[in-house]
Amino acid sequence: MIKVSDKTIRHTKPILSQYSVKTHGGNILFMLPAFLLFTFVVLIPFFQGIPYSLTNWKSIISSDYEFVGIRNYITLLSNKFFLNDFVHTLHFTGLYILGANFLGLVIALFLWRSSKLNNTLRTIAFMPFTVALTSAAIVWSYVYTDITTPLFNIPSPLGISSQVINGLVIIAVWRDMGYCMLIYIAALQSIPYEYYEASCVEGASWRQQTMYITIPMIVPAFTSNITLLLAWGLKVFDYPMAVARNMSAAETTAMYVYNNIFGFNKAGLGQAAAITVTLVLLLLTQIATRSLRRLEVEA
Amino acid sequence: MSGMTVNSRIAGQSDAKRMTGNIIKTVIILVIVAAILIPFYFSLIYSIKTETDITANRLAFPSNPTIQNYIRVITENSQFVVGFKNSVMTTIPTVLILIITTSMASYVLARFSGKFYKFMYSLFIAGILIPFQCLMLPLYLNLHSLHLTSTLTGFVITRAGIQVSISILVVTGFVKNVPRDIEEAACIDGCNRFQTFWQVVFPLMKPVNITQMVLNTLFVWNDYNVAIVLLRTKESQTLPLAQIIYFNENTADLNLAFAFFTMAMLPIMILYLCMQKYIVSGIMSGAVKG
Repeated sequence: MIKVSDKTIRHTKPILSQYSVKTHGGNILFMLPAFLLFTFVVLIPFFQGIPYSLTNWKSIISSDYEFVGIRNYITLLSNKFFLNDFVHTLHFTGLYILGANFLGLVIALFLWRSSKLNNTLRTIAFMPFTVALTSAAIVWSYVYTDITTPLFNIPSPLGISSQVINGLVIIAVWRDMGYCMLIYIAALQSIPYEYYEASCVEGASWRQQTMYITIPMIVPAFTSNITLLLAWGLKVFDYPMAVARNMSAAETTAMYVYNNIFGFNKAGLGQAAAITVTLVLLLLTQIATRSLRRLEVEA
Repeated sequence: MSGMTVNSRIAGQSDAKRMTGNIIKTVIILVIVAAILIPFYFSLIYSIKTETDITANRLAFPSNPTIQNYIRVITENSQFVVGFKNSVMTTIPTVLILIITTSMASYVLARFSGKFYKFMYSLFIAGILIPFQCLMLPLYLNLHSLHLTSTLTGFVITRAGIQVSISILVVTGFVKNVPRDIEEAACIDGCNRFQTFWQVVFPLMKPVNITQMVLNTLFVWNDYNVAIVLLRTKESQTLPLAQIIYFNENTADLNLAFAFFTMAMLPIMILYLCMQKYIVSGIMSGAVKG
């Protein structure tokens, strides 16, 4: 049976390649629905947005605008509010990446071996990821005021300007560390057991094993988690919108964009801010990926 | 060398040391699990307490649990019901559209490796890095000129378009590991490519399609950013929007606000607990490779 079908395949292959036009045509038809959707929602608006950012377009209901060149970008660079929001966003993103990855890795190191108990604990650790960011933020705002304040006498960080970003970081870390954990568990499980066996025979200590086997082997997981959380962090919008809408100390760049386009009638400026943020995101992602990849190779 | 010695060498510790190690480990895990569960416990407790019970003893388990709050949220005004209906009516079509379109595209992207296909794949994947803020204004204007703002259709198209990139990443990674033999056999049996795909390949993709279904349900159901931009009328708002408005209107009646939250959270939680096998394997296989 197998032999027969093998032969037939060998015969059919050249025939198929003769119809490459038909094949590629078919392929394009297969990709078309997804591509149209992607083009309409992502590609076209992305390129449309660039000229919008060079105008003084005021609001979404008027189409009156003049071309102002790069003036919006210059305004942004000297705009105190935008720069402050940028600092808030970077502050949030930095602590969020550190916190979620550190705790995710710690939990993964505890739970990576599969057992009934560990599987249950993993299920629990991932559960917060299923909660809407807005719900998470609001529930936590009450965890702060109704648990941590009466029990430990710590005022809610969401009420203090200097602490509000840290308060939001705790919420985000709580929600997303389970995601990081899953990626680390996958990486830890993919390390061949023989590596540890062999290093044992050679007399390696636990510390050496961690340094020279475990960590280098999970660098791809670091890359994946850090780049993804970097993107999520720089886009942060839902948490401050839900619990710190009117606090300027909690305003992020995503809120700045939203407020300028849909609130303050400065759509052109808002779009310029959006493009600036996108460029920073692309740049930081590139830097993160490149430097982590290098770590992978050297190890 | 026997397995036993290897194990003890790997642990590299005496029994007494390992005991203390295990105790520390258990304590850390218990603390983390408690920290993870507190907000859930909190929402549940508040949602089944009476108003007087909340002010009397905030954190204790309610003396007389009640489902009255849930009934009041559903019956007293239409916010929850409208929001819930809109969330269901947007999540289901978005997820179905994504399963059909991205499984077709990923199949081709995983099976062909020419320059054109590599370019198309990179193009789709690049979408992951473009933040929604950057698309918001042009997209709003385009949809507005098509009279699709504040409609569920507009929301479904947008949400599906944004999700295409991640779905293609996850599904393509899976299809690369599906053996070609069966398709080739079908080819010989005289199926055309369309038939081969739907009758042979698509059923084989069931595990990854369940994964993307659960992931996309999660992202669409919980979406706030796209919703606040596009859904600007009360009749069109989805649960996350309704939730915040309801919450701001009912800060005094915390029991009601939390009953609302718990009900909004519940469907997705149940889906996750039933399908967790798929979501876990999907995230693990897709993300580490990408």
